[in-house]
Amino acid sequence: MYVEKGVKKLAPIVEMKGIYKEFPNVVALNHVDFSLEKGEIHALIGENGAGKSTLMKILYGIYDQDEGTVKINGEEKNISDAREAMRLGIGMVHQEFMLAETMTVLENIILGFEPNKHKLLDYDKAYSEVMDYSEKYGFEIRPNSKVINISVGEAQRVEILKALYRGAEVLILDEPTAVLTPQETEELFKIIRSLKENGKTIIFISHKLDEVLEIADRITVMRKGNKVETLSQNDATKEKLAYLMVGREVFLDFEIEENEPGDRILEVKNLNVFGRRKLSNLKDVSFEIKEGEILGVAGIDGNGQTELVEALTGLRKVESGEIKIRGEEITNKSPLEIRHHGVSHIPEDRNKTGLCKELTIQENLIANKLPDDPYSSKIGIINFKRVKNFAEELIDKFDIRPPKTDVKMQNLSGGNAQKVIVAREVAEDAGLIIASQPTRGIDIGSIEFIRSVLLDERKAGKAVLLVSADLEEILSLSDRIIVMYEGEIQGTLDIEEANENNLGLMMTGGNPDFKGGVTA
Amino acid sequence: MNDKLRDFLYERQSLLNVFIAVFTAMIVGTLVIYFMGYDILESYEALYQGAFKGRFNFGGTLERFVPLLLSGLAFAVASKASIFNIGVEGQLYFGAITAAFFGYIIKGVPSLVHIPVTLLLAAAAGGLWAVIPGFLRAKYNVNEVTTTIMLNYVAIFFVGYIVNHPFKNPNVGVPQTPNVQPTARLPKIMLPSRANIGIFIALALLVFFIWLLNKTTFGYKVRAVGFNPFFTDYVGVKSKLIMVLTMFLSGAIGGVLGGVEVLGIHGYVLDNFSPGYGFDGIMVGLLARNNLKALPFVAFFLAALRSGAINMERFTGVPKEVIGVIEAVIILLAAAEVIVEIKKRKSSDKGGVEVG
Amino acid sequence: MGDLGLIINLNLLRATLRMSTPIALAAMGLVITEQAAITNIGIEGIMLIGAFVAVAVSYFTGSWVLGILSSVAAGVVVALFMAVIHLKFKADVFVAGIAINLFAIEFTRFLLRNIFNTAGSFYDPNIVPIPSITIPIIDKIPVLGTLLSGFKLTDYLGIILVFVTYFILYKTVWGLRIRFVGIHPLSAETGGVHVNIKKYQAMILSGIFGGLAGAHLSLGYTRQFIENMTNGRGFIGVAAMYFGGVTPINTWFASLFFGFTEALGNNLQTFGLPSQFMLMIPYIATVVAITIGMIRKQKREKNNLL
Repeated sequence: MYVEKGVKKLAPIVEMKGIYKEFPNVVALNHVDFSLEKGEIHALIGENGAGKSTLMKILYGIYDQDEGTVKINGEEKNISDAREAMRLGIGMVHQEFMLAETMTVLENIILGFEPNKHKLLDYDKAYSEVMDYSEKYGFEIRPNSKVINISVGEAQRVEILKALYRGAEVLILDEPTAVLTPQETEELFKIIRSLKENGKTIIFISHKLDEVLEIADRITVMRKGNKVETLSQNDATKEKLAYLMVGREVFLDFEIEENEPGDRILEVKNLNVFGRRKLSNLKDVSFEIKEGEILGVAGIDGNGQTELVEALTGLRKVESGEIKIRGEEITNKSPLEIRHHGVSHIPEDRNKTGLCKELTIQENLIANKLPDDPYSSKIGIINFKRVKNFAEELIDKFDIRPPKTDVKMQNLSGGNAQKVIVAREVAEDAGLIIASQPTRGIDIGSIEFIRSVLLDERKAGKAVLLVSADLEEILSLSDRIIVMYEGEIQGTLDIEEANENNLGLMMTGGNPDFKGGVTA
Repeated sequence: MNDKLRDFLYERQSLLNVFIAVFTAMIVGTLVIYFMGYDILESYEALYQGAFKGRFNFGGTLERFVPLLLSGLAFAVASKASIFNIGVEGQLYFGAITAAFFGYIIKGVPSLVHIPVTLLLAAAAGGLWAVIPGFLRAKYNVNEVTTTIMLNYVAIFFVGYIVNHPFKNPNVGVPQTPNVQPTARLPKIMLPSRANIGIFIALALLVFFIWLLNKTTFGYKVRAVGFNPFFTDYVGVKSKLIMVLTMFLSGAIGGVLGGVEVLGIHGYVLDNFSPGYGFDGIMVGLLARNNLKALPFVAFFLAALRSGAINMERFTGVPKEVIGVIEAVIILLAAAEVIVEIKKRKSSDKGGVEVG
Repeated sequence: MGDLGLIINLNLLRATLRMSTPIALAAMGLVITEQAAITNIGIEGIMLIGAFVAVAVSYFTGSWVLGILSSVAAGVVVALFMAVIHLKFKADVFVAGIAINLFAIEFTRFLLRNIFNTAGSFYDPNIVPIPSITIPIIDKIPVLGTLLSGFKLTDYLGIILVFVTYFILYKTVWGLRIRFVGIHPLSAETGGVHVNIKKYQAMILSGIFGGLAGAHLSLGYTRQFIENMTNGRGFIGVAAMYFGGVTPINTWFASLFFGFTEALGNNLQTFGLPSQFMLMIPYIATVVAITIGMIRKQKREKNNLL
């Protein structure tokens, strides 16, 4: 418990002022103010890339801010690392649990603060201490089970308890409900309320507006590195929050020509796939795309979009359901066979999957031709002249810089690297292009270029599946939009009826019944 | 630092580090010789003469060059696919025993047939043995360092059994196989030394693999799998198969090494005959930073040191073990990824940072 | 006939324990570093240098105690050296280990030549070995005496150290932190544990065990130094460590099992029977055990999707 000094109004327990943080090419936080009153539950909401996590990582000492100050209980502090944050009473529960699976719950909780007699572990004391905490806050945990054997909800409780055990007064919960079932979420909310009753302060990061409205005292909305507004729970409505979160955008102007969709190219029926997390398991996903059509897939990251793309491209096993390209079954075929059916893929993670940074531009440009070898003699000798010609053509057409075929990819900027991938996949002349986050983290010029390439492909009669967390991109390119939420299709909209508001609402789990009209 | 110089060094910093490693080791060696009370110039002169002067000495260098180059090549080829093949020693044992067997059992064919057939079979034996750890790594992600170390012992014991029991030369007391047919022996090129045409075989293999890795689709796949298997899976390459095949090729080079030693030097397999050729390859590969074109220079350098050391001991009394110390220091320093680190100049446009 | 069988069996068990000591000592050091996520295959080289130092010091000072202590000190120095190469100069842990092993072979060969002016091996009556311990009373009991009494001091020490290792890893604050460093360094770091310092400490312990194993080889198990006399025992230690699932007690059993195969192999050899297949067993068993472990892990990951 903090001792209250003096009679004046208490300083906020955390006060962040003018926080500015820049990553190469991106301003992650643009002079953000954030203040936290002792004993409140404060929700922090915003889309991917809005800067929530960056702000919290600065508070927790993982990043250093470039400008701005952090005050704890009115005193300016320089939080150099997580240990320092811990000393100041700040604890964080990450989305990825920091628990050693093969160790017991108890061992995970006491690590670093072990009760001991002459450096020998005192398990009995540890056990009783941990049980005291768990009774005080109404946790149900089993200290002696191994972490590997407990449920996700329980693991999360262990993380919270661990933070409390380390002396946390302020607890940052980073999207805590993203991995929980509704019942587990209820359980978590009980705990959060009991923490508040005991004087703890909670920062609750989330996308889900229902939950935020249910649990938070105050809500801070962030968008694109800026703080938009902090409102109290009484002033907030779901519609208002969705509007603030997504905001109005200045659209890059594209002339979209009328285009009569042709034959059906991709048909997905009742697709079920195991995901990385429970909530990204695909559940009975069905849709189709026709020639000359761009189908946008909107949604906040981690709601099954990644799994959908991986299943379509043969990188993830399909449990049930079917995927057909022009009527031919491709379910659970290898990536190569699927490519042979005329499917190109621009993957979401450029550096991990999309390219090989140690190889040259031309080697990356012909990578998808490797298995079939059109540039080699029968025994597999590469015809470098032909490869070079091909690469030069693409470099020219896509304005890739530096315009040299034998430069290693690691020397290219993000935008140019992405252009290499797009060039390679588009050059394949496939019927279907699956583009996943095609413009994430690159410069405006490249964004514009890549978007116009996708529109050209549409014009040429290709089908494009555009997966993007960027609503602006979805709205400016798509003919139709499906919204994914927790592994399911929350709804399908034609471009005419879609806007930031109804999409924002559906992305955060709102009712797809948008027809009644939503006002900001 | 001058920008251009900095760029130049940044591009070549692994070379620079290797150079520092070798240079430091030579200084250490020189100091050791000095403090043991020997004349430095005289010692180095004897070393030089022992490595290069006269057919016997130079031949001795060439003879040592062959296993160093081949084992280095075997190690480096696997490393292109990011596989750490510590198992060359075991693979060469299988190659050796196979060569000894077919060199002995095949009769009445000319050398032109006998030698290539025997070496190909030796290559196959070494390659197949290497497929075991390759497969376990590709399929189950079993660490290949551990498995290759373990399988080395299995191979050595297995060959030990063959040499001691079913395929023992009954006419001699020590456990060794019968001599191979004269038609299987590799012709000597520099009598009275034992240097033989194995050196041409080794160089031919080197050229072949440089070509294979850089000019063919297969080589491209190997390099891409080594750099980023997620990428190769995504573009439709069967990354796991490539890993296994690369390991086969690496083991096959080890097999040829065993075969060349048997057909070129000894004519038979003796129990425990290898003085650790397979491990030498790790040193050669490390020093060359797995750059195939650098392998022959490194191998030649080490071969000359070893060959010269014997002469140095004979004429100046400096114990040849000094060379061992130099090698040891080289490898210790070469193991370090960075001795000096040249930082890249800040580039204006990096991009691609995820912001959450 | 029955009596003969009994004697052979007893001697075999005795030999098993003798053979297992250097393996178990090395393996305990390995268990500790592996728990801290360092696969220290340099243990082979640490042992070899330890073995040499033990013989040299015992020869010059006439004290086996000093021999062991210097061997341990040398082990620690070499282990720290490897730790610096790995942790500070970012060498791959296997590369660093192999470098240490090659270094140890060349360096001891050089020292053998320069200090004792001999090549191959060094034996001298002035080398004072580690004493054997005769346990009173038990020594007189027929079967039990053969099984339990008259071993070298380090044989007994090896067994004690198995339990010490267990105690350190599972009953102390240090052990708990070391285990976290290996399994989940990030959680250790956020718990205020300095991961790299812990790794250095684990390497120091591994050097102590390696030094003891080396001293036992040259002053206990034999009474001489032979070039490359560890002859892969460090690697069998690695095998035992994996086979024992990286826990002290199971690793000790694995060491006993590997000691048994070696002892039986030697017996077969004296009867002119092929011993090689016996001697292969530890290595094959380890490859199989690691593979099964990985298959299980893959299955678990598949079933354990959150």
